[in-house]
Amino acid sequence: MKPKIAFFDFTGCEGCQLDALNLDGDEILALLGAVDIVNFREVMTERKDNYDIAFIEGSITRQSEIARLQKIRERAKVLVALGACACIGGINCLKNHVPMEEALRAVYGEAAQYYDTIPARPADAVVPVDYYVRGCPPVHSELAKVIKALLVGRKPDIPNYPVCVECKMAGNICVFERGMYCLGPVTRAGCGAICVTSGRVCWGCRGLVDDPNLNSQKDILKKYGLTPDQIIEKFKIYDTCTEVIK
Amino acid sequence: MMENTVLIVDDEAIVRESIGDWLKDAGYGVATAESGEEALELIAKRDFSVMVLDIRLPGLTGLSVLKEVKAQRPWIQSIIITAYPSEETTAEAKKLGAIDYLIKPLAPDDLEQLIRETIDSMGREPTVKAVTEVMPKPAVEKVIEVGKSFVLTRDSLRLLVEGLAGEMEVVGVKSRQGKYVFDTLDSFDELCLDYDVTVMPPTKYLLPAKDTLFRFTVGYDSKVIPVVEAVPRALVGVHPYDIKAIELLDVAFLSTNTDPNYNARRQKTVIIGVDCLHPSPNSFSPSMGTRLADTGFDLLLTDIGGEFMVEIGSERGAELLSRYAEVRQPSGDEIARQKAVRDEALSRYQLSLDVPKEQLPKLLEEGYDDPYWETKSESCLSCGSCVMVCPTCFCFDVEDELALDLRGGERFRRSDGCVLVDFARVATGENFRYDRASRLRHRILRKGKYIMERYGKVGCVGCGRCVTACLADIASPLEAFNAIAESARAKEAAARLVREAKAETELYTPHLAQLVKVTSLTAAEKMFEFRFKDGSELGHRPGQFVEVSILGLGEAPISISSSPTRNGSFQLAVRNVGNVTRRLHTMKKGAYVGIRGPFGNGFPLDDLEGKDVLLIAGGIGLFPLRSLIQYILNRRESFGRVILLFGARSPAERLFVDELDAWRQRPDVEFYETVDRGDQDWKGNVGVITTLIPGITIDPKNTMAAVVGPPIMYRFVIGELKKKDLADENIILSLERRMKCGVGKCGHCQINGVYVCLEGPVFTLDRLRHLREAV
Amino acid sequence: MTKVNINVHQLTRVEGHGNIVLNARDGRIEELRWEVTESPRFFEVMMRGRYYEDVPHIASRICGICSIAHSTASIQATEAAFRISPSEQTLLLRKLLYNAEILESHVLHVLFLAAPDFLGVGSVFPLVETHKDVVLLALRLKRLAYNLAEVLAGRKTHPISCVVGGFAKLPGWSELEALRQRLEDARADFDTVVDLVKTLKIPDFVRETEYISLQDRKEYAYISGHIASSDAGLTPVEKYLEVTNEFCVPHSTAKYTRNQRDSYMVGALARFNNNHEQLSPRAQKVAEEIGLSAPCHNPFMITVAQLVESVDVVEDSISIIDRILSRGLQEEENTVRVRAGRGIGAVEAPRGILFHDYTYDMNGILLKANCIIPTNQNHNNIQNDMEVLVPQILSRPEDEIRQTLEMLVRAYDPCISCSAHFLNVSIRK
Repeated sequence: MKPKIAFFDFTGCEGCQLDALNLDGDEILALLGAVDIVNFREVMTERKDNYDIAFIEGSITRQSEIARLQKIRERAKVLVALGACACIGGINCLKNHVPMEEALRAVYGEAAQYYDTIPARPADAVVPVDYYVRGCPPVHSELAKVIKALLVGRKPDIPNYPVCVECKMAGNICVFERGMYCLGPVTRAGCGAICVTSGRVCWGCRGLVDDPNLNSQKDILKKYGLTPDQIIEKFKIYDTCTEVIK
Repeated sequence: MMENTVLIVDDEAIVRESIGDWLKDAGYGVATAESGEEALELIAKRDFSVMVLDIRLPGLTGLSVLKEVKAQRPWIQSIIITAYPSEETTAEAKKLGAIDYLIKPLAPDDLEQLIRETIDSMGREPTVKAVTEVMPKPAVEKVIEVGKSFVLTRDSLRLLVEGLAGEMEVVGVKSRQGKYVFDTLDSFDELCLDYDVTVMPPTKYLLPAKDTLFRFTVGYDSKVIPVVEAVPRALVGVHPYDIKAIELLDVAFLSTNTDPNYNARRQKTVIIGVDCLHPSPNSFSPSMGTRLADTGFDLLLTDIGGEFMVEIGSERGAELLSRYAEVRQPSGDEIARQKAVRDEALSRYQLSLDVPKEQLPKLLEEGYDDPYWETKSESCLSCGSCVMVCPTCFCFDVEDELALDLRGGERFRRSDGCVLVDFARVATGENFRYDRASRLRHRILRKGKYIMERYGKVGCVGCGRCVTACLADIASPLEAFNAIAESARAKEAAARLVREAKAETELYTPHLAQLVKVTSLTAAEKMFEFRFKDGSELGHRPGQFVEVSILGLGEAPISISSSPTRNGSFQLAVRNVGNVTRRLHTMKKGAYVGIRGPFGNGFPLDDLEGKDVLLIAGGIGLFPLRSLIQYILNRRESFGRVILLFGARSPAERLFVDELDAWRQRPDVEFYETVDRGDQDWKGNVGVITTLIPGITIDPKNTMAAVVGPPIMYRFVIGELKKKDLADENIILSLERRMKCGVGKCGHCQINGVYVCLEGPVFTLDRLRHLREAV
Repeated sequence: MTKVNINVHQLTRVEGHGNIVLNARDGRIEELRWEVTESPRFFEVMMRGRYYEDVPHIASRICGICSIAHSTASIQATEAAFRISPSEQTLLLRKLLYNAEILESHVLHVLFLAAPDFLGVGSVFPLVETHKDVVLLALRLKRLAYNLAEVLAGRKTHPISCVVGGFAKLPGWSELEALRQRLEDARADFDTVVDLVKTLKIPDFVRETEYISLQDRKEYAYISGHIASSDAGLTPVEKYLEVTNEFCVPHSTAKYTRNQRDSYMVGALARFNNNHEQLSPRAQKVAEEIGLSAPCHNPFMITVAQLVESVDVVEDSISIIDRILSRGLQEEENTVRVRAGRGIGAVEAPRGILFHDYTYDMNGILLKANCIIPTNQNHNNIQNDMEVLVPQILSRPEDEIRQTLEMLVRAYDPCISCSAHFLNVSIRK
């Protein structure tokens, strides 16, 4: 019996789901052979609710989304948070730093009364989540790894060490030595340090490792020239819903 | 009229034959030699008019032969032939008296005409000096040999590198974004030989970040295919400290449990080193004795200003050098210049050890509890940068990856480091090095003490990369290094090690074993009986463990629960805690798993013989102890009293219930049992296992105790045993750590400097007293 | 009494959340609405206060399909504010990266989102059994676009290497050569697609409206030029507000726009209508073959126009790679001098013209942002199309009406989650 999977999107850019279609053609066919996709609004008309595994993309930013997610959790045996928004809240959380009424008024003016919005939060702030596929967007190999793990009944091997390990493995020269600032030392690896390898820095989109040494990271950013305000601004982009900012 | 005889000296048979035939047709006598040495031998015996000489010869070069011939038989005229003309060699040859220089391929009549003209202008009789001295035959010495140094011009170095590029991948030091890296050279001009340090060490070519061990298919006809791949490669521009690092890796990966993947790469790697003349400000290699290298390379270059001194470090280096490049003997000035250049470089180092490195192991041991570890590690990010850039770090983790079709996949290893949080964590969640201070200490002690004690090589080569890479500035091992003992034996041993390393592919490959019986013991524990597919015996000692593979999920270390005296099959008792064991618990008779091992040391059976044995098992500690118990009971007459103590948490968690009863019934066994908590049916002892000990009398002089159980139990049991005056060396414990490779390489099971998979898991208490991390 | 009640909740095979509501009784329409119900994203609030280096990073995440469009618009707006002129090499690379976006988005829409309607299936997945080669072809084309973006910017979704002032890392030479070969091979694949599309029956519906897009004398415009209106001619990009005139409606969380008429259309058909003469000969031939000629007023033909554009960007990409291979690639120094100022970046996202309007302070911190999204600009047009189309088809079976309305909305290839984050503009009462 092939497991039935479904994709649901909440508040997000839908890049994570659509990026899944960018897996290698052979891999997609192998995947389609291994599972039954019963609900994927973005690419399918048929929608059924008898799914075993639900992939959740996007964060929760409206009251109505809470109930919707809870219902999905009831139906699904396994719930997987897909992408930074679902795993850690994502960039949607940047709006949390402005009081809700002010944000609504700034954007909608008098029409604000028609729209509800609550501080953005990740899926696990609302329901228990079984697995996480992190990143903005996640790398294909990790999505494939989690799917394979679900299919054979094992825990996927997701790193709990910082991006620095993979950055060095890729042969990169540390960006701190080139005058830039990076959250790699406290961000969870698994992406192959793609952003540094592509010439930029790590923004922290995969979230913090389990036990980050945040004080040390802040000291280092300060040592290399950032002010405390600038340091907090750096963390705000993806780590708003973590202990750094709270 | 004496026949004119021409000597043709060329290592290519086709050249000798074709020129020879032509000249014979033209009426000349012809002799041939295929090497310089042979030519000189012939000349010593007979005379020739003309010598046609190839410049490029194996062994003695053409120019050397020319020189020699001019010295012995000055009347022999020489014509040089070559396929690789260069201005230098032409000038040199002319200086040495060659008549002319012809380029291959030759037009034979050109050659013949030249010979004729030469002979005509010569006259018939050999021209000899008035005083005829019979020159003694000079010793034909092999000029380019190990240990010797020569001068190599930059052009010649270019020829060498380009020549190598024709037969292997050439990796050299290049500049990138203001730093230096090792990377494939696209042209000789990219090569930087005057650099301070590379960002990543060249060791990554011997131990790549990801290294496939084998590929497998799962299912009905599951197969395992080891992957041992290596491409021929030259590393050009390796500094001496990195050369020393590679010597360490050679010992770690080749001397015991030869690693097939490392071996394959090492055999195909040519190391061309270069002296470091402008060190990084973070480097302290002089303190570590790694500033200069006299072993571990095939060739070593020193820039003496415009030209290089090249030292031959191996036969292979000698062979490659003479094949592709021209060298000359150094003058006295040049030898002095090399020394001067090296001495000048020494003055550029800014950092050094404050104590002789010889004192470090002892200092580190005494400093085990120093507040330094705690303070320094406060800002440690556990980011892994220090281990990733370190040339002497080689710990790795092993993972299985399935393809999406779930039909097959690969098992690979990837770089890992002891400073990372989960390095020493086991499936139950216990982490044996969970705080940063202990991880920092372990790394430094490894660099300064454990590696030296285990491998006899320096553990930190003073390259300074970790000092640069550490954002928190806490990684420098400057106070924790070890001395290297240099001796002729050590030099020869190092070279011999690589030469003689055996090619083997089976180290990481599991063997198929079939499950023949499954017995449930408790809710979470089962016993599995296996038989090898090929019928072989496991051949283990009680106390050893195996690595059980379920392809696609991974490998888990499991103690062997049956005695080796049981033939045909072996038993593993397993608790369901992780990926592999969880799957194992669903397997039925007839299924296959992979088995590697047996690993570890096992119980010291010789020491136990003839003694009274007191065996204490707490909970699943009975799994490995059962192997010993069965063994002892099978040879009961070889032992004195046999006292068995077993403690379970509750009656429902008692293991091997039938066997417990059988042991209880035996008149030659004193069996006592207890449970932590009873239930309404339980009529036996209630209390922790230590409560059983006071009631037993033993003769401490003649008793050995073996204790296996959860870590918490050890301290208390040992306390009780010490009250009975049992000496440390008579108390045996079995310790658990995270065993992964089983062969003392991946690093995960270390307790201080000891590998549990090699020197354990069985230890006597006196041994453990010296291992601070142990209990 | 015949009743028609259609309530399509969260329309499938479009990006984002929208509903179609139609209630009619006895041939009289009581309610007809295209509703946008996407959660408001608040990007203007998110970007305010950020340093310029992080602004394109955030802007990219407005949308997962057209992240390169948002990224490029953001970069160009910032460059305009800082008065930075990118080098010729940067412009070539940027255009090539942009082509990857157009190609991927159009392939996704034409073959994965729209095509199933025409082939009578709910999605591409059942086609794996019956038309495996076509599915593999579609995946192959999508992956080509993906790899092209990967080589230029590290990845397609939320590109990394494109930065204000240039590129943080240059593409590899051999990778470019390999891609060029694959682009050439793609021509045959597109021939197959064109043959397939020729056999499909496109609904025949015509409603003329105003067509707005970028227009550039030098080339078929995607990331340069002025605003062109089929009614009103050219307007400089800086004066975009005069063209867009955003307003709110109560049943939608997205804002609407209008210019000369009650609504206007942006997107592939608008571009085609305005700029079709600048297409490559190969693309023009394809348009002719499938029966697309300018001016075309049938919104269902947007999908066909996208196919024509896909063929065109393949040709353009080959020619850009040839230029790069002949002039070589140089590491260029990129020092960005921040300054206070306002800049507008206008690009043609796959779905239509997109504006990013930024104001920075003298330290390079973003003070204010305004983004006008293409789909916003189409919402009003969709509503007006429905109001003309429904009376024409009201007598048909309810299922057919629903299917046709869904196909109409899908034809616009709406990107709804982009459109639902917006900014300070006037409100229609």
